[in-house]
Amino acid sequence: MPHATASTSVGSSGTGRDGDVLVRADHVTAGYDNLRERTRLIALRDVSLDVHRGEFLAIVGPSGCGKTTFINMIGGFVKPLRGTITMDGKPVHGPGADRAMVFQDYALLPWRTVERNIAFAMENRRPRPGRSEQRERIAEALDMVGLRGFEKSYPHELSGGMRQRVGIARALVTQPAILLMDEPFGAVDAMTREAMQAEFEKIIAKTRQTVVFITHSIDEAVTLGDRVVVVSNRPGQIREVVDIDLPRSRFDADVKGSTRFAELREHIWGLLAHEALGAKPKGDAR
Amino acid sequence: MTTQATGPVTSETGQRDNGKVLEQLQVPGIARFKNFGITVLNLSTFFVLWEVFARTEVINPLFFPRISDTFAAMYNGFVDGVIWPQLSHSLTNFLIGMLISAAIGIPVGLLMGSNHIVDLTLSPYVWAMTSLPRVALIPLLILILGFGNSMQLTIIVLSAVFPIMVNCMAGVKTVDPSLIRAGKVFGAGRVQMYLKIILPFTLPFVISGINQGIARGLVGMLIGELLGGGGAGLGYLLDRAGDQFDAPMLYATLIILAVMSVGLVQSMRWLERRVAPWRETSA
Repeated sequence: MPHATASTSVGSSGTGRDGDVLVRADHVTAGYDNLRERTRLIALRDVSLDVHRGEFLAIVGPSGCGKTTFINMIGGFVKPLRGTITMDGKPVHGPGADRAMVFQDYALLPWRTVERNIAFAMENRRPRPGRSEQRERIAEALDMVGLRGFEKSYPHELSGGMRQRVGIARALVTQPAILLMDEPFGAVDAMTREAMQAEFEKIIAKTRQTVVFITHSIDEAVTLGDRVVVVSNRPGQIREVVDIDLPRSRFDADVKGSTRFAELREHIWGLLAHEALGAKPKGDAR
Repeated sequence: MTTQATGPVTSETGQRDNGKVLEQLQVPGIARFKNFGITVLNLSTFFVLWEVFARTEVINPLFFPRISDTFAAMYNGFVDGVIWPQLSHSLTNFLIGMLISAAIGIPVGLLMGSNHIVDLTLSPYVWAMTSLPRVALIPLLILILGFGNSMQLTIIVLSAVFPIMVNCMAGVKTVDPSLIRAGKVFGAGRVQMYLKIILPFTLPFVISGINQGIARGLVGMLIGELLGGGGAGLGYLLDRAGDQFDAPMLYATLIILAVMSVGLVQSMRWLERRVAPWRETSA
């Protein structure tokens, strides 16, 4: 079994397409202070993990295991209490143009049309791309997510799945070094979800985009990930990094139906089962 | 892909990239005026019943005049120049009062929403003034400002400014945190965050604040004119008609007031829908 333990991120030799490290989390601990109760909730403890250039890294774990906190730290708007996060060897201090994010609740501006929502990702940057370049890139991004023709629609006129396509297009249009996705398909219905996973796999195959993808669906993690990071609950710690040695496309019937797919899913479930079944501590689910 | 079932979705050509989610329907002209027709019928029935009932004189005509007399009084009032000066006085006062209220209420409310210290400092006074019945201020205002126009204007502003302020504050405070997160991720600085996220999100709150301000401001306008003894305005017209047992004039003024309030409130409703169409359809 291709295992890698928590603090010694070994998985690099596996199916990660390129060897070099893009993001490195080094003994990171993160938490949230509650000043009123004078407590600090530790969301993640002593996590070390490398994200390699060009890989699809899925992070799976029960709710409250700190996976969102982790992605927010890479995104640059949560600071670690201890340890460091580096990107391209430079420590992360805040959000930057090299990172884009897709949110579970889409986070589209309801007063802007689809194309203006996508433009939002470019218009705040210095140097700002010119008008014609913006238009080209928007068209390209819309093509990629299959939303051509909906430029002038408002988010409230679209279904959940289509809204998230806009969210993905908005992130892709910035041509980020890394794409951070926080349970992007968590709010769409099961059928749309499967369709979007398949389309998204195609997009990634084309762009070779580096992705960190949070989910609490083991199936989704195995389906999409080159590696799956299994995180345990409260405080979040890495149980195991599992290499997914399945060919692509994972949506070919003989891949999804293969015994290896089932084995991997079973293995990850085995790592999480006792937590999913056990009683969770009271409190918020971050 | 699911699409909203608001009309026929696939285009005739069957091509998905045709784009339009919402197609135009051919609605016959009559159907479009149906609601309007019902309203006209409703009001005319009401006025006819009023006329018939008033003619029976079950209720003393001194309290309940015929609608025909009431409209006659209104017509004559306009022709003789009795109503218009008062109406224009009230309207001018009201509009100036609302402008002042908006000019103070919106920025202060936005500031309270975005700055914790300002919020903490101002909120006891704002909430006290929001809750205090406006009439209670009349004696004090008369004491300070006398029986003049400035007193009437002040009571309008004091009535309207606080609902505007409170709504603006609430708007800023309830900005969707995930939109703020998206703003940060996609590089919006402080100014851009305000201009592109916080203010557009708050705009519908500003308008419903103004809407509430209008309702409160109208009350303020009337109590100022009724109790302030300024000798002008629709309130004064009401007061005088009452003193003179001029029931048709009294009713005529009430109808003018009703039309004026409904018109103001409805136009703000319309504006609210125009500005934030997404709030009606879905979250």
